[in-house]
Amino acid sequence: MSSNTPAPSSTGVSPSTANANAQDAAQSANPVDRLVLEYLRARGHKSAEAALLEAIESGSTEVSGNTLSSDDLIKGLAVFAQKPSRPGENVLKDSSSVLQELSTMGNPSSIQTLIASLGTAGAEEILSLDPTDKHEGFRELESWVEGSLDMYKPEFLPMLFPIFCHFYLDLVQKGFKEAALHFHATFSPSLAPTHNVTLHHLSTLMLPSHVQNDDLAQRFRNEKYVIRMSRSGFSLLIGWLTEGVGGETPGAGEGFSGEKGKRGRAAVMRVVNNHLRFDVTNASATSVSPNAWEESTGLLSSLIPAIAQPNGSSAVPNPHTFNTSKGELKLGPAPTSEELRAEAERILREQAMLDRDPSAQYDAHFTRPQALPGIVSPTEADLLPHPPSFKTIDVQREVEKVRDARKRIRLDPSAMSSVDMNSTQSTSARSKALPSICAYTMHDVGEGVPCCTFSPDISLMAAGFSESYIRLWSLKGEKLRGLRSDASPDVADSSGVSRLLEPDGSNTRKLIGHSGPVYSLSFDPLGGSAAPPKYLLSGSADATTRLWSLDTMTNVVAYRGHQNPVWDVQWSPMGTYFATASRDRTARLWSTDRTSALRLYVGHLSDVDCVRFHPNSLYLATGSDDWTARLWDVQRGTCVRVFIGHQGTLSALAISPDGRYLASAGEDLAINLWDLGSGRRIKKMTGHAASIYSLSFSAESSLLVSGGADWTVRCWDVRGAGSQVKPHENGVDEPQTLRPAEESNETTDLLATFPTKRTPVINVHFTPRNLCLAAGYYLPLEPR
Amino acid sequence: MSKPGPKPKSALSLHAGIYKADAVKDVAESLGITSLSETVASALASDVEYRVHQVVEEASRFMRHARRTTLTTSDIDLALRTLNIEPLYGHTPHASTTFRRALPFPNTPSAGTVYFVEDEEIDFDKVLREEKIIIPKGVNWTAHWLAVEGVQPLVPENPPAVPREDAAAPPSAALNGKSPQLGLAKSQQASAPQTQPNQLVKQVLSRELQLYYTRLTSSLLPPSTAPAETAKRTAALASLRADAGLQALLPYLVKWIGEGVVSALREETDAEQEGRTLEILLDVTSAILENSTLFIEPYLHQLLPSILSVLLHASLPSSHAKHLRTAAAQMLGRVLTQHSTTYPSLSPRIMKTLLVALLGNTPTAQSTTSTTVNGFAMDTSGTPTRDGARGPPKPLGTREGAIRGLIGIGKEAVRKGILEGGGARIVGEEITASRVESASGVVEAVMMALDTLQPPSDMPETLDSSREEDARLIAQLRDLLGEFFTSRVVSRGDRGWAAGLVASVST
Repeated sequence: MSSNTPAPSSTGVSPSTANANAQDAAQSANPVDRLVLEYLRARGHKSAEAALLEAIESGSTEVSGNTLSSDDLIKGLAVFAQKPSRPGENVLKDSSSVLQELSTMGNPSSIQTLIASLGTAGAEEILSLDPTDKHEGFRELESWVEGSLDMYKPEFLPMLFPIFCHFYLDLVQKGFKEAALHFHATFSPSLAPTHNVTLHHLSTLMLPSHVQNDDLAQRFRNEKYVIRMSRSGFSLLIGWLTEGVGGETPGAGEGFSGEKGKRGRAAVMRVVNNHLRFDVTNASATSVSPNAWEESTGLLSSLIPAIAQPNGSSAVPNPHTFNTSKGELKLGPAPTSEELRAEAERILREQAMLDRDPSAQYDAHFTRPQALPGIVSPTEADLLPHPPSFKTIDVQREVEKVRDARKRIRLDPSAMSSVDMNSTQSTSARSKALPSICAYTMHDVGEGVPCCTFSPDISLMAAGFSESYIRLWSLKGEKLRGLRSDASPDVADSSGVSRLLEPDGSNTRKLIGHSGPVYSLSFDPLGGSAAPPKYLLSGSADATTRLWSLDTMTNVVAYRGHQNPVWDVQWSPMGTYFATASRDRTARLWSTDRTSALRLYVGHLSDVDCVRFHPNSLYLATGSDDWTARLWDVQRGTCVRVFIGHQGTLSALAISPDGRYLASAGEDLAINLWDLGSGRRIKKMTGHAASIYSLSFSAESSLLVSGGADWTVRCWDVRGAGSQVKPHENGVDEPQTLRPAEESNETTDLLATFPTKRTPVINVHFTPRNLCLAAGYYLPLEPR
Repeated sequence: MSKPGPKPKSALSLHAGIYKADAVKDVAESLGITSLSETVASALASDVEYRVHQVVEEASRFMRHARRTTLTTSDIDLALRTLNIEPLYGHTPHASTTFRRALPFPNTPSAGTVYFVEDEEIDFDKVLREEKIIIPKGVNWTAHWLAVEGVQPLVPENPPAVPREDAAAPPSAALNGKSPQLGLAKSQQASAPQTQPNQLVKQVLSRELQLYYTRLTSSLLPPSTAPAETAKRTAALASLRADAGLQALLPYLVKWIGEGVVSALREETDAEQEGRTLEILLDVTSAILENSTLFIEPYLHQLLPSILSVLLHASLPSSHAKHLRTAAAQMLGRVLTQHSTTYPSLSPRIMKTLLVALLGNTPTAQSTTSTTVNGFAMDTSGTPTRDGARGPPKPLGTREGAIRGLIGIGKEAVRKGILEGGGARIVGEEITASRVESASGVVEAVMMALDTLQPPSDMPETLDSSREEDARLIAQLRDLLGEFFTSRVVSRGDRGWAAGLVASVST
């Protein structure tokens, strides 16, 4: 609560007025006092007004300069403190707690009584109103962190950011706009560049009401900011903070000098006490990797769902404890029914006989899902309900899956690690490790193509446009035929169906139905790579998800339920179900035959930007604007894993086909690789120079391909360990294209970069045979 | 990328944010509020700025999800709609239409105010004189290989953009991925981007390289015997042989060589001139091959037709024929030794081409096979056809070239072509059939080939046809080489050699 805007309900001289007076005394030239005086006059508090004027005069005459010792202030204020009426509760919560703290610290009894006589108008609060202490305090803290030993620096540095935020918010809330701006301008450049987004957001808050209404500011206010620190580091910090209470140590260098310094340190301590929470670990400071703070620092308590813990809520929120508390996941491949498998095997054997290919009959083992050691496979009962019988298309899909597995191009990124890239073997190593990428470039796209996707059998490509329509292309050069407009549905015989279709189609087809940009498309996976898909799902800014039949080329269903734009939509791997992610902070599970959602996945603090199913369809991964990714139990609707570590909005997700890894890309331009089982981050891969739009794993899960707004497609080694520094080498054709700015942050697991010509890559897609497809749109040189 | 980072604000702009209190006052005045106090104005300015930031932050989400990096007015509209504020209609990313108020009608005052769209007057003369504006066809797509087995092919669609004339890169043929769109991709690749790459050529080559290229080609051709020119040519060749940094020029040089060879062989020019031109072109080719800084492999399939054309052409100018064929054959051998390890299909392909040229029965049959069988787009195919149309004499020149090529490749190739394939026999029959005196070149080539197969013995011992043993040997030779060359071999009078030849086949 600010001092110059007292609660209108208060009668008499409210304590906040007294605060204002005191502060005026401290800064006689402050424009605030004019406001207060006017206020008092309007309210008719004559005595208070007179006293205030007196105080201003005395302040300006007796004390030269604009600082006052606390004792003087308190004495001066004692007069007003005699007649406090009922204060606004929320105003004084903080000050009363401060009082309690003070009293426990064992101050001289005279001060204690004085403070007690002050009642709710806390002296500490009066002091805290002086904006200079924040400035001073932060400067001291920064220089202390800078001057600390190198081994502690990585631990202390994350602490600067929350303290900065709180100081800034304090200043804004108290109405010191200029001081806040000055504070921001002075210190924000020195903070880690990863916080840029938040710092920018904070800089837009300039009035107390903004702080009241802004989500982020309220999260800072109401939640504890968790910082992980080693035991020794923490005790050093405590030592530095408390030193001031007992007076300055001699020879402390710059240290905190005088009253101002002491109050600065007190301000730091206030933030530390009220808003920070230290997760003290026994690990030594040196064993922590430089990026580790990302996972365990921040406003974690609301990001991590509450878990019933026997020891109460005292535990420091930690994603790992949450993840382990959720138990083991069933990450193995989904079971296929015995009959389906038998049928697929029979067909495979027949085919092998027909083709006289004796080796083909050993393929049958591919039909049995290979469970990796240490991973639990789900049983039939775990799966989402689905029809018990199987159709021809299911068999075809299973058979094709086996063929794909056999004809797959094996990609082995480890081949590249052992070979010197300058030697002659490098070409053969590259061909073993890296995929062939076919790029589909769209031209003349108008206002933009938010999404583009390939059907699982690569017979179709669909793109959603900002102009609210969807366009389908046949990649095989076949005609796409829709339903005739004059068709009558009463055709009994099977030949009639083809008569219902248009006599001639074209290679491309426009699907119109949405009333906002189409942000996401998904082809139904039922046909697998064996047959063309029958349905297409699209999510749009008009908050609907639409189902399109590719037989008739018409919109079949519109699923309404989301309140805000639908950012992403994806089919479950077995069809029938699909999931959507929306700006309304929820992800939802739908079944195609119902128009309302089956499950709501609620817990993200901001937009849910992307959604991906686990290959066995038991789990759903979501990525959000709150910088986290989560894994949900699809059936129960509960969050089972939280992935904290990105320093920006998540833009893309991918789960590896073997079901073990989650790759997430964020606006911090990093790709994080997570182990789904433990919920821990395996590594952080950097190298992209702009937003990453799409991620895709190769069929063996050994290679990750990413495409982004920096007009490149990049290949990453999933298994190899990545490290920061790397002698740059990308192969024969690279050197001309390198921009020097890019080289700095590439990790060693970046195997190759393939630049395109002014084409942001909006989708990358691995076929089951490990051919990589990339889609993007060409940016003409001059904007139209 | 989307959001601007917090700019360190200078001390000057301390008082407020970006939106100034003065702006608020201006707005207030326009609304008729004159007495707006400073504090209110500054508070309002701060609030306005905050609200604007709110909208922009929301709009940037729409921008991000639209996969764009520039914020457009439609993003703002969507953001406003989402925040439950009425959008600002009428702002399109494109130039908006302007309306003008028409002068009031004095006759019919009831019509009210009339607005009209202000159209730009277009002068047809001017528009027609200016170049045509191509209207885009609407959204379409093209496909190309961004990477083939981890190597980015040098097609025009890819940024390093050393353009290549034919899009059929050899590795893509070997690609075994499931790619139903492959054929389509090819056709798209061939048709659609034709307009783009041509413009790009100029951008890719630096001015220095372009200058170098023109100087180089002008100093090499046309051939002249003036001493100054010769010196220049030697310098140019030396530069090609050793200079680094010519990689970007390589496609152009290769093309230049190819065109030079074709035009030299096609055009009915003076024989002397033609021979010298070809000689220089071969020199250039060998210089490129010798330059260790050049990565020649992707261009081999374009370079080889030129070499093979020189080698197999039917009627080279007689003064240069032998030298040219020998040089081309040596170059072929060199290419094979250098590149056959990394380009495994190379030597079988060349072998096949040479064997077809040597063994093809009639010139017409040969011409058809040579186009279809060999893997390369051969320029030679036209030449023999012309000869074939003329009828006899048969292109002994082609056969000679093929034999020399085989010699260049090695012993094994010679054995296959001359002996096992019956090359010598066919050539011999043709020589006897045509009774041409100028067949000495072929004869010499065949004898040389036989020499490489089996070196002549140090102490030759004459063959005696009366001896039974020798008679058998001669019969075998006749089987192997045919009448003509058997007599030649016998006349050489070297039994050990002849026996070796026979033995080399049977082993």
